[in-house]
Order: sequence, then structure tokens, then C-alpha cells
Amino acid sequence: MISLSKVSKHYGSFQVLTDCSTEIKKGEVIVICGPSGSGKSTLIKCVNGLESIQQGEIIVNGISVNDPKTNLSKLRAHVGMVFQNFELFPHMSVLDNLCIAQTKVLGRSQEEAADRGLKLLDRVGLSLHAKKFPGQLSGGQQQRVAIARALAMDPICMLFDEPTSALDPEMVNEVLDVMVGLAQEGMTMMVVTHEMGFARKVANRVIFMDHGHIIEDASKDDFFNKPRSERAQQFLSKILQH
Amino acid sequence: MYEFDWSSIIPALPFLGSGMVLTLKITVVAITVGIVWGTLLALMRLSGIKLLSLFATGYINLFRSIPLVLVLLWFFLLVPSLLSNLFNIPRSSDTRLVSAMVAFALFEAAFYSEIIRSGISSVSRGQFAAAHALGMSYAQAMRLVILPQAFRNMVPLLLTQGIILFQDTSLVYVSSLADFFGTAYKVGDRDGRLVELLLFAGAVYFIICFSASLLVKHYQKRKAI
Ligand SMILES: Nc1ncnc2c1ncn2[C@@H]1O[C@H](COP(=O)(O)OP(=O)(O)O)[C@@H](O)[C@H]1O
Ligand SMILES: [Mg+2]
Repeated sequence: MISLSKVSKHYGSFQVLTDCSTEIKKGEVIVICGPSGSGKSTLIKCVNGLESIQQGEIIVNGISVNDPKTNLSKLRAHVGMVFQNFELFPHMSVLDNLCIAQTKVLGRSQEEAADRGLKLLDRVGLSLHAKKFPGQLSGGQQQRVAIARALAMDPICMLFDEPTSALDPEMVNEVLDVMVGLAQEGMTMMVVTHEMGFARKVANRVIFMDHGHIIEDASKDDFFNKPRSERAQQFLSKILQH
Repeated sequence: MYEFDWSSIIPALPFLGSGMVLTLKITVVAITVGIVWGTLLALMRLSGIKLLSLFATGYINLFRSIPLVLVLLWFFLLVPSLLSNLFNIPRSSDTRLVSAMVAFALFEAAFYSEIIRSGISSVSRGQFAAAHALGMSYAQAMRLVILPQAFRNMVPLLLTQGIILFQDTSLVYVSSLADFFGTAYKVGDRDGRLVELLLFAGAVYFIICFSASLLVKHYQKRKAI
């Protein structure tokens, strides 16, 4: 479904990603963790072409993301992405947030889009808030809207960039619950997160990054029981203490 | 001691009113065209396309470095001969109003584009990423996501610039167009009551501009809540 081979990227002389390779099969859930600044956000932004790469190849659903001939908009329409800061459109109602890309990008009718939008709002438990504006919702609610907005496009896979790290602790679980549900339904997911409880529950594999390298790419059990690298061990012991 | 005599104002009100209509016409056209053209200039300047951004930068710097009066005069002299060459309109026909509108619109666009550019930059880059991630093209992201937010942030600045423009339209006196200031001057000159008429004109400009800026402040306050 998603394959990265020897992906490298630099900003000027600063190397953000070095030789990153991995493979994600349909229905797999991959958790990516690592210290801040290690390139996690950059890596998943490369998957839908929000960031360009200088070397290597990224293939999503058989389409080469870094091929200049690829219609990136078309590909992104079916790769859902959820951001740390929600990035809902503040000048639109919640429902319009869910409909705008359905109508303007996928060409669905307004009714069809609203129908789908309301179903997904219901799914994330927010159908009563359809007419509100994002600013009137709590962080956890906004992030659930953002997930619903991505799902409304019928994505073939979902990318999450620290979806809970901007949230107050008491709101983390409402978002994680939605994500667990998605994972259990078989959605292909790449999730940057430090929520190890989530990883233990639904991840197939865990990737550990440091300084732009993929240091560890292991099954969940291997990662938690016997991380090979010292840096992953240190990292794990640090975050599991908290 | 100077004896004020305001009696010439009342009978001249219809004439003064027609002057105000002209002033408002120029203001509204210049604001509308200025914002549209200014938005395009801002987009050119922000676009990665070198030629476009060079053109826009040059345009903006040019108009921001020339006194408005000069631009107006050039257009009064230029536009009639241009029109007569292009469309065979006789040189003698009155193109002063069109010239004034074009001049103000082009001049204001340079100022508006800078306001709009900073408005666009004030919308977080994450909004662009979110729009792109949903499959929107650059144009769609701009039109549906970035510009609406940019304009909402910019309304006070744009209106303030519009108030300044409303006052600046009085500069059309260089072509003796009968705008509000022009009509007031004419009436005062005719009746030998220039001081009264100019004081009256000043009061009217003040009341309109001051209330408009109060409205802008009110809008800002309401938005802040
Ligand atoms: N646009 C940019 N220009 C230059 N450096 C950047 C840019 N974006 C990110 N970086 C750098 O790349 C590194 C990786 O960033 P990021 O992928 O956001 O890390 P993470 O998500 O793991 O915290 C950081 O050191 C960051 O400072
Ligand atoms: Mg990050």
C-alpha cells in the first residue's frame, strides 16, 4: 500500500531524512515515534507529497509520489491526513469543513456531501455540533472533526501527525478511541505519536526514528520487549516513566 | 471682523449633492477595482513565478513612490489621447471621470496589494497544508481557504484605506471635475463665499470619515470578542 525506499531529504545543507525505507501493507497500523526534531513529521508529509524528497522513491497505492508527472492533488484526495493543530478551516461551519473538499475536489453534490458528512460526525460523536464553528469546540472535539473531515474523502489510508499532543490530557482518549476504532476496522494507518498505550493496543509495527534515520522498524512485541538499539531503549524508558 | 454668511449653501445643496455622488462613485469604483487588482498583484508577488513577482514588485514600488496628484495628471493627459487612438473617440469628449477612476484604481491597487499580501501571510501555513492534504489545488486552497480568512483579518485595514481614498478623491480638482470638493469650491467662488463653503465641505468630510472610522473600530471590537 505504502512503500518508501531509501528516501532522503535535506533543507539546504541540513539532512532531515537519510535513507528511510519501510513498507506498509493494506490494513496495517504503523506507529512512528522518536525524539522531537528527528524527522517524523517530515517523513509522513513526504508520503502524501506535502514535502518533496531529493532521493529515493515513495509509492502509495501503486503511484509514485515523487514522480513529477503524478497528479498529487488527485492522490492526496484519497490519503487522509490529521495534523497536530487540527487545521480545521475556522471560517466555515463544522459541516462545511467536512463538505468543502467532497464537493470541490471529488465533485459530489451538496446533498451527498452533507449526508456523508453528517454520518461521519455521528460516528465521531459530534452530530449535534454540525452547525457550530471550529472555534466553539474543544480541542478534542476539533480533532475528531478533523478525523471525520479526512474520512469523508473515503481515504485509502490515513496519516496522523501527533494527533493528541496539542490536547489537554483529559481529551486525549476521546481522540484515541476514534483512532482505535478506525484501526480495528482495518484502516491502513501511519501514526506519529508518543501514546504507547495506543501502540500496544492496535499497532502492527513500531518505527523509531532519530536524526532522520529509521533506527528501528520492528513488530510491536519486539519493539516493546527487546528494542535492539540503545537509543530506542533510552527513549522507551523515558516516555514509559511518564 | 469677517461676517459669515451661510445662505448660499441651502440653494446649492442639489449641486453639492451631485458632487457627493461623483465623489462616492470614484471612491467605490477605485476601492472595488483596487481590491481586485490588488489581490491579483499580491498573488503575483507571492507566486513562485519570477517574472510575475518582479512585475508586481515593480508596479507596487512605482506607484508607492509617486505622488497621487502626478498620477492623476498623467492620466488626465494620457487617457483621452489613448482612448481616441484606440477607439476613435473624439478627443474633445469628456473622459475626465473615467481617467480619474482608472488612476485611483491603479494607484490604490498598489496599496491594497500590500495589505492583502500581509493578510495572506497572516494565515498559518498549516491551513495550506490542510487544504492541499484534502486534494485541493493551489488555486482552490487560495480561493476557498486562505483568501476568505485573509480578507476577514484585513477588513479594518481595507476600510481605513478606503476612508483615506475617499478624502484623496478631492484631488480631482486638478482636472476641475465637479466632485464634492469641486462643487463646493465652485459655489463659493461664484457667490464670493469661499470660506463658508470650504468650511462646510471640511465639516462634511470630517463627519463622514469620522463616523466611518468609528464603525471600523466598532467592527474590530466585535470581532475581538
Ligand atoms: N522548512 C524547514 N526548513 C528547515 N528545516 C526544517 C524545516 N522543517 C523542519 N525542519 C527541521 O527538520 C527537522 C525535522 O523536523 P520534523 O520532521 O518536524 O521533526 P519531528 O516531527 O520529528 O519533531 C527538525 O530539526 C527541523 O528543525
Ligand atoms: Mg513533528
